[in-house]
Amino acid sequence: MPSATTPVLDVRNVHKTYKLGRVKVPVLHGVDLTMDHGQWTAILGSSGSGKSTLLHLIGGLDRTTKSSNATTIVFDGRDVASMGKGALDRYRSSEVGFVFQFYHLLPELSVLENVTVGAMIRYGRLGYMSKRKETEDRAKDLLDRFGLSHRLRHRSKELSGGERQRVAIARALINEPRLLLADEPTGNLDRKTGDAILDVLAEFRAQHGLTMLMVTHDQHVAKRADRVIRLIDGRVQTDESQVQSPF
Amino acid sequence: MYQSLLTRKYLTSKIMPLLAMAAVMLSVATILITWSIMGGFLNTLLSSGRVMIGDVAVVWPNVGFAHYDDLIEMLEDTEGIEAASPVIESFGMVKLPNDQVELMQVKGVDPASFSRVTSFEDTLWWHPIEKPTSKDRDGEDLRIIRVNDPETKDIDESANDYSAIFTEMEKNGKLMQRPNPITGAMEPAGLIGIELTGLNDRTGAGIYAPMNPIIPNASGGYESDSVFMPSNGSIGLTVLSLDSDGRPVDPVTRTIPVANEFQTGIYEVDSSLVLVRLDLLQKMLRMDQAERVVRTESTDPFAFERDPQTGELRPKMIESIGIDPARVTSVIVRGADGVDANDTREIVKQVYARFAHKHPGEVPSEHIIMLRTWEDTNRTMIEAVKKETGLVLFIFGIVSFTTVFLVLAIFWSMASEKTRDIGILRALGASTLGITWLWVRYGAVIGLVGSTLGTALGTIIVININGIHGWMGQTLGIVIWDPRVYYFVEIPREVEVSKALIVFVVGILTCILGALIPALHSARMDPVKALRFE
Repeated sequence: MPSATTPVLDVRNVHKTYKLGRVKVPVLHGVDLTMDHGQWTAILGSSGSGKSTLLHLIGGLDRTTKSSNATTIVFDGRDVASMGKGALDRYRSSEVGFVFQFYHLLPELSVLENVTVGAMIRYGRLGYMSKRKETEDRAKDLLDRFGLSHRLRHRSKELSGGERQRVAIARALINEPRLLLADEPTGNLDRKTGDAILDVLAEFRAQHGLTMLMVTHDQHVAKRADRVIRLIDGRVQTDESQVQSPF
Repeated sequence: MYQSLLTRKYLTSKIMPLLAMAAVMLSVATILITWSIMGGFLNTLLSSGRVMIGDVAVVWPNVGFAHYDDLIEMLEDTEGIEAASPVIESFGMVKLPNDQVELMQVKGVDPASFSRVTSFEDTLWWHPIEKPTSKDRDGEDLRIIRVNDPETKDIDESANDYSAIFTEMEKNGKLMQRPNPITGAMEPAGLIGIELTGLNDRTGAGIYAPMNPIIPNASGGYESDSVFMPSNGSIGLTVLSLDSDGRPVDPVTRTIPVANEFQTGIYEVDSSLVLVRLDLLQKMLRMDQAERVVRTESTDPFAFERDPQTGELRPKMIESIGIDPARVTSVIVRGADGVDANDTREIVKQVYARFAHKHPGEVPSEHIIMLRTWEDTNRTMIEAVKKETGLVLFIFGIVSFTTVFLVLAIFWSMASEKTRDIGILRALGASTLGITWLWVRYGAVIGLVGSTLGTALGTIIVININGIHGWMGQTLGIVIWDPRVYYFVEIPREVEVSKALIVFVVGILTCILGALIPALHSARMDPVKALRFE
């Protein structure tokens, strides 16, 4: 088990090229990145700079493009880039929590079901049945902490943008992941609501030592992170540490 | 776990799964109705087709075989055989009441034993009935017993009640006899198919209304006669008698009074079969017991004589009078309850072998005698109906197979609509197998619900098909099963659990098949692309 000072995430020489028909579109050109346990890192960059792609690769949603030098995305001692499909599925369900700009809640499910669905996927039918009460209590607790205890049976279309994003965060946290990947989590919200969302994340990180990698193009959001990485044209241009780390 | 949750949510929140269920339900119901009615039609036809022929027939056509009484006795003494009856099958020219002459099949039967082997007594049409048939809503059937009080069954004198006449006709039909109109004494009579003379008009109520014959005359006009076949009608029967070697001898004509008319349910039989008493037909065909001249060579090796026809010398022949036993062309056999026709044939085969050894040189050997089951005899008809049933099912199966594509199209549409959901689930760690199972399970549930409803709907419709058909006829004027065209008054139907089960399972499999392609497509989708799907 890595200690608090050992990088929990070590990304080396990550390349990604998309194919649009016969045209190859390179997005990432050998990105290197390390993150310590409990660190909040913001990735700044303009549209098309490759920041979301990098997030997807770290989260095991996408595969890197092979390059001449070895590519590794090591999380907690395991190389995500070389994992098989099953291992990647388990990695996403247990180690990583995703938060998206457009919330991506399942419209047919209630707030509570949207949060617990992650646990259903992680534990399977039998596992979930045995942990059902525990999981639902945890989901209710999370939603209560996010001020949504009165919305448990509501569907996502009945919620405001800020409420939806808080539900999405609760869903990302239900399996107690060690790495939270957030793709412009406040990009679709007004400043006040966005700040409230960031407050929730900051509080949770402070309490649970969550490692957070957050993509944004908003300087205001980036300022709240411990560290800011600027990504331009698929390459890390600057990597600056900031002082507001809680550790 | 998440699959069952999403299946339940998707089912209750969208109209498309309901449409898919409706499509499955209708397809399943259609197939079940078609299969049940065609199956019922086939079985009704089969049971009708075996009415006059028993389970197994021992057949030696044309000249027939002797000592049949002995064979019948041996058969009836054997376990597995219920009864046996002698029959002569031949052809004859029949002169009808309208003076037309037609070639008909003629059977000589012994009514007592024939009724033990066949259910011919049940086919006699002219007999009193207590209730009108299901289609005879106006009670036009002449055979109905008219009563004032249904409880006491008092006869309504004011109504035209013919029950006494029909009771007499039924009795005469069973015994194949009819009173002579002049002497009043009973004399042998025949039975004819209800469609044979063309004098019985089959109405939309599925009953027969007797008509008088119209007889054309030589001057271009016509005459009419008041004839009701079981009362005063008769046919002229001409058969060609054969000698014991099967050579035609001379035509013999008799007038046969008609005791009753039968309806087996097979038009071919009812329009061309005449039943006459066995002893009468034996006489007409010279198959009855008779004395005959037997010529044998003299025991004196030096005694010669000249052949009167060729004039050549030949060993002297001695003539003596012998007995030529009566013959029949077949013996029909009814197997015991629970013994099927093929098993009955095996039993008959063994008995006949003993019979042939008992009468060597007098009856055909067991190697050449023909043993036919009722299915062999009706094979052409059975095969035709089976093929028709198969063809109709195939066509409906093809039509219903479109359900697969319908479900596929609906699922493809739903899977496309839910592309982002797939991306979300993949981001949460759902496997490709899990996503595949989500859609396959969804298809299976739609198939299960649709098939259950379809099986229930089909079964209810089949059970009530005649009521529904009657309602359609009365309300909408739509009459598909017209008793004037079809030979059964009611639509034959048969709901078999095995058939319902097959249709039910196929309905579910069809849905799973239709869901499988969209399921695999969804599962293989790139999660990042799915998340970006607009």
